[in-house]
Amino acid sequence: MSVPLTLAITKLAGALSRGLGRGGGFALPGLIAEKLDPNLSGKLAAGLSGGVIVVTGTNGKTTTTRLIAEMLEANGIAVVTNSTGSNLKRGITSALIAAADRRGRMKATVGLFEVDEASLRLVAPQVKPKHIVVTNLFRDQLDRYGELDTTATLIGEGIVATQAELYLNADDPLVASLAKYAKRPDDVHYFGIEGAPVNAVGVHQTAIDSDRCPVCRTRLVFSRVFYGHVGHYKCPKGDFARPKPEVVITNVEEADPNGSRFVLAISGKRTTYTFSLPGTYNLYNALAAVSAGQGLGVPPNLMERTLASTQAAFGRVERVEIEGRTLCLLLIKNPAGFAQVLQTFVIGRAEVRAMFVINDLPADGRDVSWLWDVPIEALAGYKSVIYTAGIRGADMALRLHYAGVESMAADSVEAGIGALVAATPVGGTAYILPTYTAMLEVRKLLGRRTVMQGMSR
Amino acid sequence: MSREITIVHLYPREMNIYGDMGNIITLVRRLEWRGYRAQVRSVEIGEKFDFDAADLVFGGGGQDSGQQVVAEDLLKRGPALRALAVAGVPMLTICGLYQLFGHGFKTVQGENLPGIDVFNTTTIGGKVRMIGNIIVETKDFGRLVGFENHSGQTLLDDGQESLGRVVKGYGNDPKSRREGAMSNFAVGTYMHGPVLPKNPRLADFLIAKAVERRYGAGELEPLDDTMEQAAAKVASGRPQ
Repeated sequence: MSVPLTLAITKLAGALSRGLGRGGGFALPGLIAEKLDPNLSGKLAAGLSGGVIVVTGTNGKTTTTRLIAEMLEANGIAVVTNSTGSNLKRGITSALIAAADRRGRMKATVGLFEVDEASLRLVAPQVKPKHIVVTNLFRDQLDRYGELDTTATLIGEGIVATQAELYLNADDPLVASLAKYAKRPDDVHYFGIEGAPVNAVGVHQTAIDSDRCPVCRTRLVFSRVFYGHVGHYKCPKGDFARPKPEVVITNVEEADPNGSRFVLAISGKRTTYTFSLPGTYNLYNALAAVSAGQGLGVPPNLMERTLASTQAAFGRVERVEIEGRTLCLLLIKNPAGFAQVLQTFVIGRAEVRAMFVINDLPADGRDVSWLWDVPIEALAGYKSVIYTAGIRGADMALRLHYAGVESMAADSVEAGIGALVAATPVGGTAYILPTYTAMLEVRKLLGRRTVMQGMSR
Repeated sequence: MSREITIVHLYPREMNIYGDMGNIITLVRRLEWRGYRAQVRSVEIGEKFDFDAADLVFGGGGQDSGQQVVAEDLLKRGPALRALAVAGVPMLTICGLYQLFGHGFKTVQGENLPGIDVFNTTTIGGKVRMIGNIIVETKDFGRLVGFENHSGQTLLDDGQESLGRVVKGYGNDPKSRREGAMSNFAVGTYMHGPVLPKNPRLADFLIAKAVERRYGAGELEPLDDTMEQAAAKVASGRPQ
């Protein structure tokens, strides 16, 4: 089938789906295109003069993609991205279809896509990325991929299908080990942290995801751990060790729930950055973005400006004002992310007001076992008002109960929001921690009570 | 002085996937709520360990890559663990260690990981991953609910008791409709979830056997399991 005909059909399907107000219609054009012309994404991507950049990894894909997009746009480059859609192959195809005119000519010069870890091997041979960023690898939705080592191998299969420059997290051993899939050693660029506060709340010591040498399986020795299994490591037996990163945060001067100030060095040249997103995990997102920005030739002053002014991505640290109270939405997806969110926002408040909304739909991960790998015990002993809701709210309540934290079950997510607002004094802040599909529901409900960014979509 | 129960946690660093730590948390809390002090002692690869003090043994599942080093180390501890099982020490092994508590595991790659024969079972690696919610009907603990995620298929020798019959899900293998194994007071299962928080009868069985052996027969003080049952009910209603 010719490209213009496929485009006409898929664009029409997308328009119809949006016209009918059907949710989830965003991936539909891509889904249909896969049937009509499985190579469509490759054909369209070939028209992007600036090539394709891909961001993958467990946590931080969306935020990193957004930071890179903002840097490129600040540099006057038109970007096509899947930031509001699906990160599976069909989502990338949909984004490309939307950015193509009727004849298949691209309205953008660069494609920037966040890609699901297991989908990279399907996406990469098509869109032939010139740059691949890998953020980190944590346990996430294991019911889909099997195991963490499998995920790394799947990403490797994607990398070998390209000639891409790689931007890898030097502090995550499994991610750093992906360098072996590069075409040439010169294609590999590492980013990492030299100095940062070490978090008190880790995932259970025993639930560290990946602390074995990817080469010989010996347990790595860590001289520093920033969170989870991310830090400075070395194999006591062989040569495998943390590679020296080119892009480095040498020192965090200040950090609070609103952001941080740090010194970042690019190939030894130091600059102080202010950054509007909080938490150690976001420092890594900033590093990933700067590392890629460096490779893409973004001038350093534009990178600085982007980090200083960026807003959190959809549902990641989103603040909503309701009746004089601030509700803070914090997406939770896996034990490492959950622990980071607890550490950054919740622990240490005089009074903790929070609601956990846990769903187990495919996009959340159908297995809720991971809740037991989260160090919820850190909440015990604080004065707290805690609600649970969602399809698996009862599992969360049970987890809290065994951690010595009492909670109340909300009859519905809507009732829970109401109760949380009522329990929060005017001028106070409460936290909502939802899984992915729960976050969509929470945003929809909040959208009825207040104006939210991006709700018109 | 409160009475103490020692829980031995096998290979927590290697074998701790899918929230298996929740089983330890559950055992500890349910002991504490009844006035016992729970001592958790972990056994890591290569570590010297004296199993004499063990009142209860737990081992979870792990990534395939970790299983071979664990198998080698476990083999050396086989005689001690077998003796404990025969002596009536309650045990719970999940997924990876359930497999290695049998005769062995033949992987898809043709590797043979020998087991320690607590259960008369043999596991063969399969190509299909058995993933989903699972419900098992048991004789001693009623209906158990969990989440399974494995590609190994475990076959029971003649005479080896299973933990129960599969009501929903796969269980030991795609065909037999049987799940887990039980020998004396040692229980092996594929159920994560983790299994114990939502199945307090199984948790209390293990605790009761441990207490009984250490401090003599007696009833366990009942606990209010309303939350446990509520979570189990929701989990049971989820699609496979």
